[in-house]
Amino acid sequence: MAKTFYLEIIATDRVFFKGDVEHLVITAIDGLLGILPGHEPLVTSLPTGELKYMVDGEWRYAAISEGFIQIMPDRAVILADSCELPEEIDIKRAEEARERAEEQLRQKQSIREYYETQAALNRAMNRLKISQKHFK
Amino acid sequence: MPNIREIRERIASIQQILKITNAMYLISSSKLKKARTALDSTEPYFYKLQETIESVLEHTPHTRQLFFDRRSDIPDEKRKKGYIIITADKGLCGSYNHNILKYAEQTIAEAPDIDNCYLFVIGQVGRMYFQRRMNEGNAAVDGEFLYTTQNPTLYRAREIAERVIDKFEKHELDEVYVLYTDMVTSNLQETRTVRLLPFERRHFGKAPDGTMKKLPKAAFLPSPEKVMEYLIPNYAKGIIYGAMVEAFCCEQHSRMTAMDAATNSAKDMIKDLSLMYNRARQAAITQEITEVCGGAASLND
Repeated sequence: MAKTFYLEIIATDRVFFKGDVEHLVITAIDGLLGILPGHEPLVTSLPTGELKYMVDGEWRYAAISEGFIQIMPDRAVILADSCELPEEIDIKRAEEARERAEEQLRQKQSIREYYETQAALNRAMNRLKISQKHFK
Repeated sequence: MPNIREIRERIASIQQILKITNAMYLISSSKLKKARTALDSTEPYFYKLQETIESVLEHTPHTRQLFFDRRSDIPDEKRKKGYIIITADKGLCGSYNHNILKYAEQTIAEAPDIDNCYLFVIGQVGRMYFQRRMNEGNAAVDGEFLYTTQNPTLYRAREIAERVIDKFEKHELDEVYVLYTDMVTSNLQETRTVRLLPFERRHFGKAPDGTMKKLPKAAFLPSPEKVMEYLIPNYAKGIIYGAMVEAFCCEQHSRMTAMDAATNSAKDMIKDLSLMYNRARQAAITQEITEVCGGAASLND
């Protein structure tokens, strides 16, 4: 039995995951970050990206949009806007969201609108990428 | 004895109203069910967020961060206070609106200077109310702040949070509070204030004897400031969203109870009136018979 730590992934609309994991890999602001049991206390924010964690020697993947993580040696908490399994992603919706965002980016926008659309585009692209990668 | 036709009309009109209140009851109960599930699925996030932020702050080294800046150099009467007040979009929900509006009034009255209060009202009823009061020299309402309370979404909460934070950063506001109705249990609602900004460092690692507790410092990637810059807006958004969901749930619950009571009293009224109607009808028939009998008797004489 490998060493584990307790991981909680909580999205705004549901509790996504709760349980012991052996290994967690997150996309932090400046790159991938692997977390094993006994990690030093750490807090960092998570941009929209991919997430994977190992349960019983098996990798599980998820798409995550904006959140943050608090890591303690024996546990970790991820709080995110949304979190989905690759098979849960609605490709059509993500596709539409991407098109809508791209369309909006072509228009003249205020800086705030521009950032918002870019964030929306980012989320859509991330969803598409992860669903294509893990779920065919 | 009231006129038979009058009573009949009255019964008909009450029946019409009963249909409406009953329909509203059904609608709000189904909406409540939806709001309840939304509340149940958000609550873990809401509580975990507060808990985590608190524990993160305990491990945070002291930072000169904008969101923690209490701006204590500004005297109390000059502080610009912002209030986000969550009311309903419609009336007909018992005392729900009345309670939150009264509570908001009281809270605002406590502020030292009414000219430095800015109201951000979510929900049509509250907006109309405070706009009317504004003309009478009350606190200013932000006219561009137009959001509905119906079906709260994270997206809307994010927009609201960004807006207030933006104002805070520009020093247009020094303090921001959220006023909403909290669902304590399904039968108990409570109006509540939550301070949003500046960010408060409660129990900042202080032991009971007043000495600073030695808490292990956590590492921050890439830096505490950067993480906080992201964390605080996220926290504000979470708080606003949670408050909106709670308030929406309360609104639907109040409406449901109010409409249930209205339906019941309409039914009672109809019962009383139909009794009256039957009596009047019986009286009319009796009178007619006596008249006929009287007429016949006089003919026989």
